[in-house]
Amino acid sequence: MKIVNQHSPIQQLTKLTFVLLFIFSTSLFAQQGDAANGKKLFKANCAACHKLDKKVLGPPLKGVSEKRDRKWLYSWIKNSAEFIKSGDADAKAIFEEFKIPMTPFPQLSNKDIDDILAYTDDKPAKKAASGAGASTKVDPKVKLGKKLFKANCAACHKMEGKLVGPGLKGVTERREKEWLHAWIKDNNALRKSGDAIAKQVFEENGKMPMTPFPQLSDDDIDALLAYFKVGDVKKVVKNTAGVNTTKKEKKSSGAWMNWVVILVILGLLIWMFLSKVTFLKIIATVFLLLVGAYFTFDWLMGIGVDQGYQPIQPIAFSHKIHAGDNKIDCQYCHSSAKHSKTSGVPTANVCMNCHKSISEVADDTRVGALGKEQLDKEIQKIYNAVGWDSDNMKYKENYKPIPIKWIRVHNLPDFAYYNHSQHVTVAGIKCQKCHGPVEKMDEMKQHSPLTMRWCLDCHKATDVNLDNKYYAKIHKQLSEKYGVEKVTIAQLGGKECGKCHY
Amino acid sequence: MASNKKYWTSAAELKNSSIVEKLSKTEFVGEIPTDAFLGDKETLETSSTSRRDFLKYVGFTTAAASLAACEGPVIKTIPYLNKPNDIIPGVADYYATAMADGYDFANVLVKVREGRPIKINPNKEATSDNGTSARVQASVLSLYDNNRLKSALNNKKAINYTDFDREVISKLDQVSASEKKIVFLTGTMASPSTDKLLAEFKVKYPTAEHVVYDAVSESAAADAYEAIYGTRALPNYDFSKADVIVSIGADFLGDWQGGGYEKGYAANRVPKHGKMSKHIQFETNMSLTGANADQRFALKPSEQKFALVNLYNAITGQGLASKATPQDAAIKKAATQLKAANGKAVVVTGIQDKSAQLIAMAINDALQSQAVDLVNTKNIRKGNDAKVAQLITEMNAGNVGAVIINQANPVYTLAQSKEFVAGLKKVKLTVAFAMTPTETTKEVQFVNATPHYLESWGDVSITKGTYSLMQPTINKLFDTRQFQEALLAWTGNPTSYYNYLKNTWNTDILKGQSWNTALHNGTFKVANEETTVTPNTVDLNVAASALAKTKTNALELAIYTKVGLGDGQQANNPWLQELPDPITRTSWDNYLLVSRADAEAKGLKNWTVDNGALNGDLVDVTVDGVTIKNVPVYIQPGQAKGTVALALGYGRTEGMQKEMQTGVNAYPLVNKVGGNVTITKVAGEHQFACVQLQHTMMGRDEIVNETSLADFINKKKEEYNPSPKFSLDHKEVSVAETDLWEKFDDTIGPHFNLSIDLATCTGCAACVVACHAENNVPVVGKKEIRVSRDMHWLRIDRYYTSEMTKEKGEEEGIVGSGKYFEAQTHPEDQPEVSFQPVMCQHCNHAPCETVCPVAATSHGRQGQNQMAYNRCVGTRYCANNCPYRVRRFNWFQYAQNSEFNFNMNNDLGRMVLNPDVVVRSRGVMEKCSMCIQMTQATILKAKKENRPVNVGEFETACTNACSTGAMSFGDVNNEEEKVAKLQDDNRTFRLLEFVGTKPNVIYQLKVRNA
Repeated sequence: MKIVNQHSPIQQLTKLTFVLLFIFSTSLFAQQGDAANGKKLFKANCAACHKLDKKVLGPPLKGVSEKRDRKWLYSWIKNSAEFIKSGDADAKAIFEEFKIPMTPFPQLSNKDIDDILAYTDDKPAKKAASGAGASTKVDPKVKLGKKLFKANCAACHKMEGKLVGPGLKGVTERREKEWLHAWIKDNNALRKSGDAIAKQVFEENGKMPMTPFPQLSDDDIDALLAYFKVGDVKKVVKNTAGVNTTKKEKKSSGAWMNWVVILVILGLLIWMFLSKVTFLKIIATVFLLLVGAYFTFDWLMGIGVDQGYQPIQPIAFSHKIHAGDNKIDCQYCHSSAKHSKTSGVPTANVCMNCHKSISEVADDTRVGALGKEQLDKEIQKIYNAVGWDSDNMKYKENYKPIPIKWIRVHNLPDFAYYNHSQHVTVAGIKCQKCHGPVEKMDEMKQHSPLTMRWCLDCHKATDVNLDNKYYAKIHKQLSEKYGVEKVTIAQLGGKECGKCHY
Repeated sequence: MASNKKYWTSAAELKNSSIVEKLSKTEFVGEIPTDAFLGDKETLETSSTSRRDFLKYVGFTTAAASLAACEGPVIKTIPYLNKPNDIIPGVADYYATAMADGYDFANVLVKVREGRPIKINPNKEATSDNGTSARVQASVLSLYDNNRLKSALNNKKAINYTDFDREVISKLDQVSASEKKIVFLTGTMASPSTDKLLAEFKVKYPTAEHVVYDAVSESAAADAYEAIYGTRALPNYDFSKADVIVSIGADFLGDWQGGGYEKGYAANRVPKHGKMSKHIQFETNMSLTGANADQRFALKPSEQKFALVNLYNAITGQGLASKATPQDAAIKKAATQLKAANGKAVVVTGIQDKSAQLIAMAINDALQSQAVDLVNTKNIRKGNDAKVAQLITEMNAGNVGAVIINQANPVYTLAQSKEFVAGLKKVKLTVAFAMTPTETTKEVQFVNATPHYLESWGDVSITKGTYSLMQPTINKLFDTRQFQEALLAWTGNPTSYYNYLKNTWNTDILKGQSWNTALHNGTFKVANEETTVTPNTVDLNVAASALAKTKTNALELAIYTKVGLGDGQQANNPWLQELPDPITRTSWDNYLLVSRADAEAKGLKNWTVDNGALNGDLVDVTVDGVTIKNVPVYIQPGQAKGTVALALGYGRTEGMQKEMQTGVNAYPLVNKVGGNVTITKVAGEHQFACVQLQHTMMGRDEIVNETSLADFINKKKEEYNPSPKFSLDHKEVSVAETDLWEKFDDTIGPHFNLSIDLATCTGCAACVVACHAENNVPVVGKKEIRVSRDMHWLRIDRYYTSEMTKEKGEEEGIVGSGKYFEAQTHPEDQPEVSFQPVMCQHCNHAPCETVCPVAATSHGRQGQNQMAYNRCVGTRYCANNCPYRVRRFNWFQYAQNSEFNFNMNNDLGRMVLNPDVVVRSRGVMEKCSMCIQMTQATILKAKKENRPVNVGEFETACTNACSTGAMSFGDVNNEEEKVAKLQDDNRTFRLLEFVGTKPNVIYQLKVRNA
């Protein structure tokens, strides 16, 4: 009789389950960490003694995972003192070098440490052209002059080129210093005194008297004149290769682990299929089907969810410059948001409110890879749309305007009704709550998933705005009914289908 | 219920036909239209595509579709370059303006979204009473008619207006030099500024003449008024001041003398302090007015004339020449009631005969009627038939040098169309102003494309002393020019019509008052200085003997207009074509109305086919030598024996989309009312799109509810309006106590109810069109209507009942006589009519909600039964379980589908869609939402203004459109609201209350002052 040593199917299954569980857990841990979270953790825990690229109390941590084994790092960070005691040679060496024991961090999980390592592995972004302007020294007088210019003159003057008044660079060469003092302090009086030049300037500039500035002291005016003489120091920005955003290769110790795990699973599956045991084949098939179903379902649920959608717009408009740097209120441009269901893409006449006098960006302005030269062309696109003649400061006659075809970023399906004014005016919600940190975005991006669950999650968590008199009675009744102090939107009826679908 | 009357919706049902039985038990009578996408059976069998192939295709297409779905479309958003100050995208603006197309006149408030008019609302603050009829409501869609004229034409070739004017002026000069007549043939415009312009034209061209022509003429009434009071106008009537109303052939709730009387009429139709008006109607075919009457008597057109004189004789005691009629007893009784009303009585007539109108005015004079206003007359029917006839003669005689036609389509509407066309050929210059290509534009040399009234400036004076302004609500869609602008150009006046209008108003009408205020309000009232008019004496003997000479024929013709199409101007409007006629419940057609007796005698039949649709015989109709071929026959209960009736406005072909070319043209017979009719049955059958047997309520009879005034006054509520009782533990209890369901908490926040007063609902169907416009309800076409797939969210059920009961027979002393036998055997010969608008009842215990497998329909706290279209998978269980048959299924994709080539299938027509309401796609259920988009907007408005919602602020499209105030809507949790007060009204009942659905729609029963 032949004795066949055969494992029972149950045993095999148990084994397999363990194997799979193990693979899954390791693959989870081995996953490459989250650098953003790592940065946070780094700042909270490590930054007191470490920097990325410099020795402080401890060694620089950049690329530390390349130097050390990950397991070694886990042990070291969690409790370095214990680790040294355990007799690890490397640990001892480090202690000898720095002589101070590192604070133990038992509270950090392996995942946290992975995150931190992901951060430390990242190369810090190069500061673009950081030193270029720093070397040129600016006279403090000129600096003061520039400040005064921006505060008092910039509404009507540019340094170069005419705005309402003439360009001011080099004005000191055209006029006498005393004359300029008199003119700036009270140009009307100067003109009345019969000064020929003053009259001529008045005539040349459309007979518009300049605002007098008696509040400026002589020193102030000297500073201004100094600025007019020198002008802005041009910073030469070299279009180095480093500026062009080349995607950085992320080196990660976790990456190869992933591949190993996948290969192991694949190998295992192949082995199972090749084996003569039918049961294994069935298990493998079921496993494949489940994995397939998981990914298919996940993929299907993602259809139509365009979170992160960031189309290239016809004009390289930067929300960062407008809402962030210049702190323009969102509703200055999106003025329908408080009245209407749509927030309203600003119409070109709203752009022109400011861009009549802002025809070019500051020298060091950058939007992505675009510098001043390209950005000025972008402003020109508005002018082309409405027919603005920026040289003569007036609209062209008989100009056929060209509408600007923006690309919609946030698209709700037709069957979902959403009203901005309900959320902005009635509820008083900040735009950023749904649209994200728009003031930091150059190119607008869909921040939220805009799915129904996302809407409802907020409706369930948000309380009714009690300042509104409409809610007074209904809120009182509802709070009694539900026995709560504050009623949520969902309790008010914000979960009903018909409130958004009709 | 209260009475033991039997209600029926059709003759077939009355006769317990098996088809009705079958229909009442089937949910959807038609089979699922698999053929439409699979092809017919034969193709399927012979096809080389096997089932396996089919599955492969399905698999592939699914995969392909889902792959395609991964890539979302790039959607552009294009803002204004320079935003107009008063437009906020997403917020509607409202403009007061006036509609005046020569047939319909109304003060309206236009809802405009992003520069597109999308909805017509009545201007409730207007100084004259014309409400918005179904046609006025639908007129916004005519603006977006794809068939409109897009530029001026000269001999059918496009021409610009400069060349157009140059050629027209040179010809005008030649005509003027030859001293031939220049005739303006226009519909009634009632426009003070246009009249002034025409006067100025006459200064430049002294041979100019203005002939006013109404397609559906009221010339006789104007002639009569002119004969007595010297000016050409129509008396105005205030029916709210009348306790007894007798109408002989006047459809005053329809289009009689321009309409607009329903509000005053309804005011006195609800019993107040035990009193309400009594309305007696003598007429030929069942009209909307006859359907609302307390008593209705059928008379031939010729007999109506005798009846009128008999009524005069009975009231005044005089003996004018006349003949006997079958309804003389009723006439005598009516005369007594009229006299007893002590001045609170009125008699109106629609007989197109000057003599008859003279006698009617004499009757009102004799009654000292307070309801007639002879001073503030109506201006909206000024047509003069005699002058039109004279014009045709002169044209043919070659005396006319130029004919300029505006707001009229005489080639289509004139009975003497052939003579007119022949005459046109002899005229040197023919110009037509028209919005769409018409039968007339085909026959003239020059066509000036005119803008729709929503693109125009203008003014109209509906009644003397009230003025309305018309202002554009959208930029001109095409290269069009107003009639008035052309007149300015031809008279060499360089001002624009806007400035001309403004100047005219400032000097002639406003006299110092603000133009902007008048424009904002849309209307302006001038106090009329005259308070009386002095009559000339008229010899009534001459009038009466003229009437007495009328010949009575065996089969007489009557002509009428329908609520949907009216005079046929808007025949290319799919909303109006699809609107079921309130009486016949048939859409997409006109037909020859025949009485039961005549149909039986001539062997004409209507029959209901297996799928519930109605078919009928075809006949050729000949009246005095004019024949109309292939007219379908519709057997109409209540039609006078020995009469047939045909509706105007159909059978147009020019400028009409193929789908809208329905019915036959009855205009060749328009001047032959009362003429001798011969009908010959011809081969073939006609398929009607009749909805009357559809959506039956499963044989549940207790649906409409009515009572008599006597019962209402003398009996207790439990007797005339009992609430259903149930037995619980052997005790009789009310519905509330036998509830199977858990009570829904409806006490918090607004809880909406809609109330419909059947006493004041005239069945005018304005609400149906308003609902169409507000909710993007699709038009499905005749074929689909025939198989019960109409999409109307709101239908107006029409029930017939017979008033002849044994008690009544005894009272009238006819029991045992042949008359009683006749009335008992054929109750459909003299039926009473009840209208009942039915929409989703928004049940608090909704049967539809519990059966939906995907929870697509659910209940809101505000009382609305909500329908999430995107969730619906189309099982139709809900429709199956709805006792009210109000759910509508999208059997097809009705938008952007060339199979349904109506307004939703072209870019222009889609501009009318309400952007706040989704267009439903194929395979989902839809129904009345109680205008949730409107209630939500009202609430949001209150929130934004930081206040509670005001009383009366909530509205739905149907309540807004209702001219009589029969419909009201509001929050029952606010005691101040009308609907809250109506909850416990004695007349209030709920539809099928015993089912226990707890509807949020309530009805007030009709009270008949019989």
